[in-house]
Amino acid sequence: MLEIRNLTKIYDDGTVALKNVSFTVNDGEFLVVIGLSGSGKSTLLRCINRLIDPTEGEIIWNGVDMAQLQGEELRKNRRQIGMIFQHFNLVRRSTVLTNVLAGRLGYTPQRNSLLGRFSENDKQKAWTALRRLGIEDQAHKLARELSGGQQQRVGVARALMQEPLMILADEPVASLDPVLAHSILQYLEALNQEDGMTVLCSLHYLDLVQQYSTRVIGLRDGEIVYHGSRADIRAMTDEEFKDIYGEEAVRVSAGLEGNLNDNAEGAA
Amino acid sequence: MSNNTKKLAHKDDIRQPSLVKPPIAAVLSLILPGLGQALARAMRRGLLLLLTIASIGGLLLWRFKLTAPRDEGWVNIIKKGWHLDPFLIAVTVLFALLYIWIAVDAYAIAKDRTRTPIGVFFVLIAVFFALGWQIGQIDIVTLITQADEAGPPLGRVAWPWEKAIAYEQSILAASADIRVPCTGNELAPNEIAGSEPVLIATPTCGTLSTQDGEAGTILHLEGHNFAPGEDTAIKWKDPIGNIFRQRQEGEYVVVIPDAEGYFETDIIMPYRLLPPSATDPFYVWVIFGEQTADVGAAHLSDDFKLVVEKMIETIFIGMMATFFGVILAVPVSFFAARNLMSASPITLAVYYLVRGVLNIIRSIEPIIWAIIAVIVVGLGPFAGILALVFHSIAALGKLYSEAIESIDPGPIEAIQATGATWLQTVVYAVVPQIVPPFVSFTIYRWDINVRMSTIIGLVGGGGIGFLLVQYIRILDYRSAGMAVWFIAITVAILDYVSAEIRARFV
Ligand SMILES: Nc1ncnc2c1ncn2[C@@H]1O[C@H](COP(=O)(O)OP(=O)(O)OP(=O)(O)O)[C@@H](O)[C@H]1O
Ligand SMILES: [Mg+2]
Repeated sequence: MLEIRNLTKIYDDGTVALKNVSFTVNDGEFLVVIGLSGSGKSTLLRCINRLIDPTEGEIIWNGVDMAQLQGEELRKNRRQIGMIFQHFNLVRRSTVLTNVLAGRLGYTPQRNSLLGRFSENDKQKAWTALRRLGIEDQAHKLARELSGGQQQRVGVARALMQEPLMILADEPVASLDPVLAHSILQYLEALNQEDGMTVLCSLHYLDLVQQYSTRVIGLRDGEIVYHGSRADIRAMTDEEFKDIYGEEAVRVSAGLEGNLNDNAEGAA
Repeated sequence: MSNNTKKLAHKDDIRQPSLVKPPIAAVLSLILPGLGQALARAMRRGLLLLLTIASIGGLLLWRFKLTAPRDEGWVNIIKKGWHLDPFLIAVTVLFALLYIWIAVDAYAIAKDRTRTPIGVFFVLIAVFFALGWQIGQIDIVTLITQADEAGPPLGRVAWPWEKAIAYEQSILAASADIRVPCTGNELAPNEIAGSEPVLIATPTCGTLSTQDGEAGTILHLEGHNFAPGEDTAIKWKDPIGNIFRQRQEGEYVVVIPDAEGYFETDIIMPYRLLPPSATDPFYVWVIFGEQTADVGAAHLSDDFKLVVEKMIETIFIGMMATFFGVILAVPVSFFAARNLMSASPITLAVYYLVRGVLNIIRSIEPIIWAIIAVIVVGLGPFAGILALVFHSIAALGKLYSEAIESIDPGPIEAIQATGATWLQTVVYAVVPQIVPPFVSFTIYRWDINVRMSTIIGLVGGGGIGFLLVQYIRILDYRSAGMAVWFIAITVAILDYVSAEIRARFV
């Protein structure tokens, strides 16, 4: 269980990205964070696994306050939380297999990993993950040689290697077209429903949110302005949507025929 | 729509009517080029024309002065200049044309402010071109007439390989002593003995030719037992031991023995100035016939070996320079990477300092560094290495630091998020991003360094370049040609290899 209490993040330049944010994520939830560009979604997700140090507040992850952790302890807790990024964040000049194995670094003795040595067990896990995501045949290609959808699947496989209890996904489909967006979200849905992983995901499109989320929170200017259940979000009206997204927002249809990227700009 | 009209109105602002009438503008521009344009409200055009005609005029006067340096007074200088270099007449005519054209231009500008004539700029370019031709001393005639004469040496450079092979040589010779002058007490002629080569001269004494063209004694030479069919040179050894070949009618004398190894020929005793000695009644001169024959197997000539040695030296100069360049450039590059150094004002100051120094070093050509290095450590490969190391540090430091600056922070973040340690993050997210560009730049630099070390050799930095200038100085075009060939082959191979390796890494 993840419990965020009074989380505030003020960047060095004075930007207040998060203001006193509190919410709880129960195990097994598919919680979606929505909000306009600049509303603080990325900041929130990155605070949870401490890629960003929060200014104030508590991040209670299974009884431990992530905000207070340092060094070894922080790393141990980090590896329980997988992360998927909008721009995949793969090491582009390394092979797909190396990228996936890198997900195992938190469990690998430093000396072995520096020589590129992973246990047989880890390699087995990597192949299983690749097979599960249908990119087994790409294993020895360089990451940059893959298409966007394939790269994001490598990103998911890397997160899987951590055998995480929770997955943070920061706009995992914003760089992909609608078909691929659905395919990636279906993988996340499977991890959520079959493997019982908690998913905390930021998304831009109401349609995707309606289809995959079990619960939604809406951010605006670093504050939570919306809380909704699955039922709420399915019944969401344009007015409510505008409330979160601001006046210029339009309700976009990220259907299969729509162009997600164009809409992304429209929504922003 | 409203935007459009605004634009037009704006255009009209600039294109206000001229302040003066067209003819007056023209006359003004004749008095001071550009003045007419300026008063016709084309201020910048007028200024530009004034500045260009002033600079062209200055350049032209300088060329006249250079052509006729000893004359006084501009009228004389210009007249002499025209006389000595007719091309200056053409430049002067064009200059005058430009001067007049500026007045014409002023007229046109003042008359119609909506049109911008461009003819004057063509004339301007023509004048600059003519000036450039004169300053550059471009001489197509020389290029064409002398290209012929350059043929033979260039031919030797283009195909120098005769010089790559040498043979062991054996010498077959026989000589006869000649007394100068005749004293009445003459030597007995040589006699044939066994199968040894023999040269028989009759008479065995004589007088030399004189400086004013009086021919010396004619000697009849008979050769026996020489190698049949082989060229035989006739040479002299004078009393002080100098050996020289007999020339007749401007050619070296060469005889070819018949099938029995026999030849005969007549020789006019040559002219030679010798210090007279009062004590000796006569000098003994030696005439001999000499055959040289290639025997034994062909082997590579000394010049060829030297070229290969120096080529290897060059490659290693490039390699060592690259090696030290890399070792020193890697740490430097971290100080020259903005993303690493922008944390505090102090580090930022270091960044600017390092960048500045690198830029200065890089802007000085390696050949200049080589000249400096030769002054410090003397001629030789070490000087070349030093020069290249300097330049490599600067060039690689810049390239490496740019590679560091362009690191994508995304993967670093992603690896951190897996719970990896700092060292693991560096090895898995940073190293894969910087090693390929580093390797690529390094190989490229090695390639450049080998090329440059041939150039640096020219000023004494060792290697094949040094050898090449020496061959050119002694007009040994064949050896120079071999050096050029080796440089070309090496550079081509290196070029290919480095491109291949880099293609794999980037
Ligand atoms: N490193 C930083 N330094 C200073 N300000 C930052 C930094 N990162 C983000 N911000 C600011 O914090 C606010 C929240 O940014 P954040 O990236 O969390 O928004 P977001 O909701 O993820 O937006 P997007 O949908 O565009 O990704 C923005 O105003 C942003 O400009
Ligand atoms: Mg974001």
